Amino acid sequence: MTTARMSPLAAAVVPAAIATADPAAALTFEDRSLLPRFGCKGRGAAAWLAAAGLPLPAQPNSWTALPEGGLVARLGVTEYLIEGSSELIARLARIPRGEGVYPVLREDAAIRLVGHALPELMRQSCSMNFAAVALDGCPVVLTSMVGVGVIVLPGETNGIPDYRIWCDGTWGEYLTETLLGIAAAPEF
Amino acid sequence: MMAPQKHPGGRLPEVAGEWIDRSQRISFSFEGETFEGYKGDTVSAALWAAGTHTLGRSFKYHRPRGVLSLANHDTNTMMQCGGQPNVRADVTALTTGMNLTAVNTFGGVKKDYAQLLGRVSRLLPVGFYYKAFHGKRLFPTWEKMFRAITGLGKLDLAAPRRHTPKRYDFCDVLVIGAGPSGLAAALAAAERGADVAIVDENARAGGSGHYQLGNDAERRARTDALLAQLEAHPRIRLLTGTLAAAYYADHWIPLVDGQKLTKMRARSVVAATGAFEQPAVFRHNDLPGIMLASAAQRLIYRYAVKPCERAVVLAANRDAYRAALDLLAHGVAVAAVVDLRSEVDADALESALRSKGVEILKGHCIAEALPTRGGHGVAAARIAPLSADGTPDLARVREVGCDGILMGVGWAPAANLLYQAGTRMRFSDELQQFVPAQLPEGVFACGKVNGVFDLDARLADGTRAGEDAAAHVGLGRASTVAVPPESECPSHPWPIVAHPAGRNFVDFDEDLQLKDFANAVQEGFDNIELMKRFSTNGMGPSQGKHSNMNGLRILARLTGKRPEEVGTTTARPFFHPVPMSHLAGRGFNPVRHTPMRPRHVSLGAEWMPAGSWQRPAYYRVAGQDSLTTIRDEVVAVRTGVGLIDVGTLGKLEVIGPQAAEFLERVYVSRYAGLKVGMTRYAVMCDESGVVIDDGVVARLAADHFYFTTTTSGAATIYRELTRLNTLWQLDCGIVNHTGAFAAVNLAGPKSREVLSGLTSLDLAGAAFPYLAVREAEVAGIPARLMRVGFVGEWGYEIHVPASHGLALWDALMQAGAPHAIRPFGVEAQRLLRLEKGHIIIGQDTDGLTTPPEASLDWAVKMDKPFFVGQRSLQIIKQRPPKLVLAGFELGEAFSGTPPSECHLVIVDGEMAGRVTSIGWSPTLGRHVGLAFVPPEFATPGSRISIRVDNGELVSASVVRTPFVDPDNLKQKDGAPA
Repeated sequence: MTTARMSPLAAAVVPAAIATADPAAALTFEDRSLLPRFGCKGRGAAAWLAAAGLPLPAQPNSWTALPEGGLVARLGVTEYLIEGSSELIARLARIPRGEGVYPVLREDAAIRLVGHALPELMRQSCSMNFAAVALDGCPVVLTSMVGVGVIVLPGETNGIPDYRIWCDGTWGEYLTETLLGIAAAPEF
Repeated sequence: MMAPQKHPGGRLPEVAGEWIDRSQRISFSFEGETFEGYKGDTVSAALWAAGTHTLGRSFKYHRPRGVLSLANHDTNTMMQCGGQPNVRADVTALTTGMNLTAVNTFGGVKKDYAQLLGRVSRLLPVGFYYKAFHGKRLFPTWEKMFRAITGLGKLDLAAPRRHTPKRYDFCDVLVIGAGPSGLAAALAAAERGADVAIVDENARAGGSGHYQLGNDAERRARTDALLAQLEAHPRIRLLTGTLAAAYYADHWIPLVDGQKLTKMRARSVVAATGAFEQPAVFRHNDLPGIMLASAAQRLIYRYAVKPCERAVVLAANRDAYRAALDLLAHGVAVAAVVDLRSEVDADALESALRSKGVEILKGHCIAEALPTRGGHGVAAARIAPLSADGTPDLARVREVGCDGILMGVGWAPAANLLYQAGTRMRFSDELQQFVPAQLPEGVFACGKVNGVFDLDARLADGTRAGEDAAAHVGLGRASTVAVPPESECPSHPWPIVAHPAGRNFVDFDEDLQLKDFANAVQEGFDNIELMKRFSTNGMGPSQGKHSNMNGLRILARLTGKRPEEVGTTTARPFFHPVPMSHLAGRGFNPVRHTPMRPRHVSLGAEWMPAGSWQRPAYYRVAGQDSLTTIRDEVVAVRTGVGLIDVGTLGKLEVIGPQAAEFLERVYVSRYAGLKVGMTRYAVMCDESGVVIDDGVVARLAADHFYFTTTTSGAATIYRELTRLNTLWQLDCGIVNHTGAFAAVNLAGPKSREVLSGLTSLDLAGAAFPYLAVREAEVAGIPARLMRVGFVGEWGYEIHVPASHGLALWDALMQAGAPHAIRPFGVEAQRLLRLEKGHIIIGQDTDGLTTPPEASLDWAVKMDKPFFVGQRSLQIIKQRPPKLVLAGFELGEAFSGTPPSECHLVIVDGEMAGRVTSIGWSPTLGRHVGLAFVPPEFATPGSRISIRVDNGELVSASVVRTPFVDPDNLKQKDGAPA
């Protein structure tokens, strides 16, 4: 009997070339679905989160890092996605929701893709022009990839493209297998 | 007929800038013969170099054809290459081991027996398709015959699937065409700071700047200089071998290369697409060896291939004179330049030709080309002076021996993309060409497509267009570059010579002759659109690139109109053929899975689609058919306990002080008074009163509701509710938790027993009554439990966070094992709910069904102040429904073919209703169903007739629903199992 939480990507098939997690690979993949996560939205959300001691992104569709690790992503104007320590997430879940605060259960499929092949993969899977997105603004992009609504946090690590992507967990297996399948295809 | 002329091998000594790599020889076969070419050759170029000039056969009369344009439009020389049909020999790069044959031949390209069709051409006049095939009786015969003798290439159905990527790309300025004007435009835009992409369908950039030289190296050097600047420019991407195939709104251009299709989104577009050189129309103008002047120049400068040994050049512009000079420079004798124009000022080009002893005949035409024996080449040109009325003076005709004729009489703008972009074009009498009169915002044109032919002027025009395109995206101001006017008309208004014996082809794709146009007009098809369809002019694979302009001129003359009055046709996207593999490309078919998928797989689920979800229809049992399996699943639920994954249901929440008010407005029932801890069935209508969704609303707190929607409706309903609250501004928020919660329905008389071991919740009927909702832990997992009875049994819908879904499933299956718990699928659920008389929105309703018709009137509270659809229902309720949903059953003894869903209810021989659901009830041992029937037949005991597939009428009895447990005893404590 399974008792633990199960990632929506547990059964996803990862092509061998990508599963190696070789840092020098053109593309590496990491399943981050089971990271502790919290969400809320509504006109009172910003004040409620601030009262909980969280730094908030000033601009819609941007993110800010948490000092102890993790992030707060502002999705549109009044929705927030928080990833952080299990203590932080548990603490947020315990605080009674305030006026105009609507909790959002975040059971996302969450992946991290890193590598030089990433820009081309994005071009083959998404109509958004990520090359035109200024990373210094800590952007959060709400768009569609391979037909699925996603939240994309584009970034770079040591000059290498490093993106985090969230989607509804029920699309996760399809999204992951499709993206990695494209990247591993001979015609890519 | 003249004696056959031997074509010697035609490879020239090295030509500056040639595309071939002489160090790499490539062997290939054509029509069973082995040939050799060089890397960089196209198929046509290599064959021409080898002295093979009959490269294909024409579509209709199977006439020998050779090089015409060498510009991707030689549709008579398409070839089969192994399993790949319709390879365009004029532009397809030669690769080792190619096994090529000409398409559309019977017995090979040399002897093609179907050339006999040419001899019976009188029996195949223009439009004969329409005249011959209108009879239904003989159509299959005709179809079979013509499918056998026509068609281009053979599809290899066993060919492996070729996967081609699709991708997106972006730029500030997209320049289409990398000829001189395009190069200038790209550089000008990039210099202003624009991110520029420049595409060209050719393997290399430079366009006519590399072959329309007139033996003037300076012209080539200027193009090379531009190209070098462009290639070094950091803001310019040069994409060769890439076709801009169409124009869609907002500067969306599909770019097609050998491997993929790229959806390019540009902020502005410069069309530097050039012009298609146009053939002259004279008798036998289709013989191998007769080609466009630019084709000959491409042969020379790209592939170092001699077009012929001795040429006659038919001219009507300076470009043709340059072509004659290019021939001379590369060892081809020019027997004469035949200029259709009588009044031409002598210039340096003419002087250069005369100085080399070339005879220039002004005011002359080629009345006829004489074929070699067998018709596989040209032996001579019959040249005649043109009379004042433009007709040839055949009394003074003169024969000039040659093995090649170059046609340099005019151009048609390659304006297909401009037309698709919505450009208004005008016909310029001075240029004898359509030119842009009004371009759409953000679209610019330069060079030949813009009516600018002189090289200096083209470069200036390109710079102007590039600067304007940059200005359009906010980089600088509009260009101030002046473009000098043209000093000659580049196109002749009537490069057409009639001949009593015909064979003067206007459309090479379809073998249309000059007389065909006259016949079409005589038949009344005197409009450009009608003419196109009746004659098929421009409907072949080259899509009129070499025939539309001449066709238009002919139609104008036949109808006494100006070309502008005749108008043009617009090529639909894609304007040039694109491989189907590219169009199909990589497809995306998003699929959703619930967290329980791994267990469904291991349990042998047979999958069925439900919107974008995959759901188990039933679970396979070895050695058992599906029907029996499904009925067994039903029995298991009715008599024991079953478990179904209902995670696909829409799961929404509305939270806030006005949450109840919101639900009052969007659903037809009342929710303000719903007690915390209780649920209520919910029906949603649209503004017209049509039922669009249903579900269950659960009140978790005074200001907090959790509610379900249909599986397929979740996204739409969430979007609509969000829209409505944006309008209403009620103090509440809506959250879509469809994917965030996993959900199962544990149902059956033993469900309580199974659940009791996994939760501390009091499951007694009094503590957790029917239609109640509770929040509690199940197997240590925080859960929401609803006592609902969709399948008509005591049961619990249990919702947990998705990541716990699998754990919940496992816990329930383990706890249920002693009770023989059985997973059941959608098919069993459908039967179970049918027995209970519960409807499925979308199956038992359609896009017009209102609550009164669906027997859902009981749920509608018309006395509420407002709900969506209320006003329409007030009107609808003033008259009785025409149809109502009623239950029916077939007798226990029924043994014929049962009706199916959508079979018609027949009253007095007329359609009176239809079956929406039907199934054999294992519980009742008979067929039961739901059907729309006239109200007078909805009373229990009425008899209805249903017409089944074989036309028979099946009699059924209308009965009250639910079919089973009509008093809902199964939801009460102590109810019999």
